[in-house]
Amino acid sequence: MVLLENDSFLTELTRLFQKCRTSGSVAITLKKYDGRTKPVPRKGHPVNYEPADNKCLLRASDGKKKISTVVSSKEVIKFQMAYSNLLRAHMDGLKKKDKKSKSKKNKATQ
Amino acid sequence: MPYYQTWEEFARAAEKLYLTAPMKVRVVLKYRHCDGNLRIKVTDDAVCLQYKTDQAQDVKKIEKLHGKLMRLMVSKESGAMETD
Repeated sequence: MVLLENDSFLTELTRLFQKCRTSGSVAITLKKYDGRTKPVPRKGHPVNYEPADNKCLLRASDGKKKISTVVSSKEVIKFQMAYSNLLRAHMDGLKKKDKKSKSKKNKATQ
Repeated sequence: MPYYQTWEEFARAAEKLYLTAPMKVRVVLKYRHCDGNLRIKVTDDAVCLQYKTDQAQDVKKIEKLHGKLMRLMVSKESGAMETD
């Protein structure tokens, strides 16, 4: 799992989308992140990490390559804009809405 | 595996689930260009909400919800927004 900076993550994510145009899927996961860098310790051991409340973890994968990045509140505005544009630009293989004239026959079912 | 039929219900349930367990909930987006479909899943590993679509009009909705949840995750408890 490669942890990248926000900008690099967006670049690599673009590449993932481009690679998967002919086959395969792109999976993106989003989760709130509290800043811990070590696994949860067994009972009795002190938990020494600073709990952060303003971060989230974003992961992406095409089944083979895995990338991830951490977004904090300071970067979220800029990141989210670029990220939204990216998603909208690449998720363009879906069906467009049918024109009403085509579904005249279906009106009877409503 | 409940796939919601309407986007409205899914979006409402997803946000509600996140607010009840912000640390546990994760959002998964899976896009297949070759099949032309997009799935979104919101789960806290106990409850699982899913929505799938092959409609271009849903991309914007899904992307907006994703952004909304992202912003919720990075916002501090006090709700105070960081202003530059």
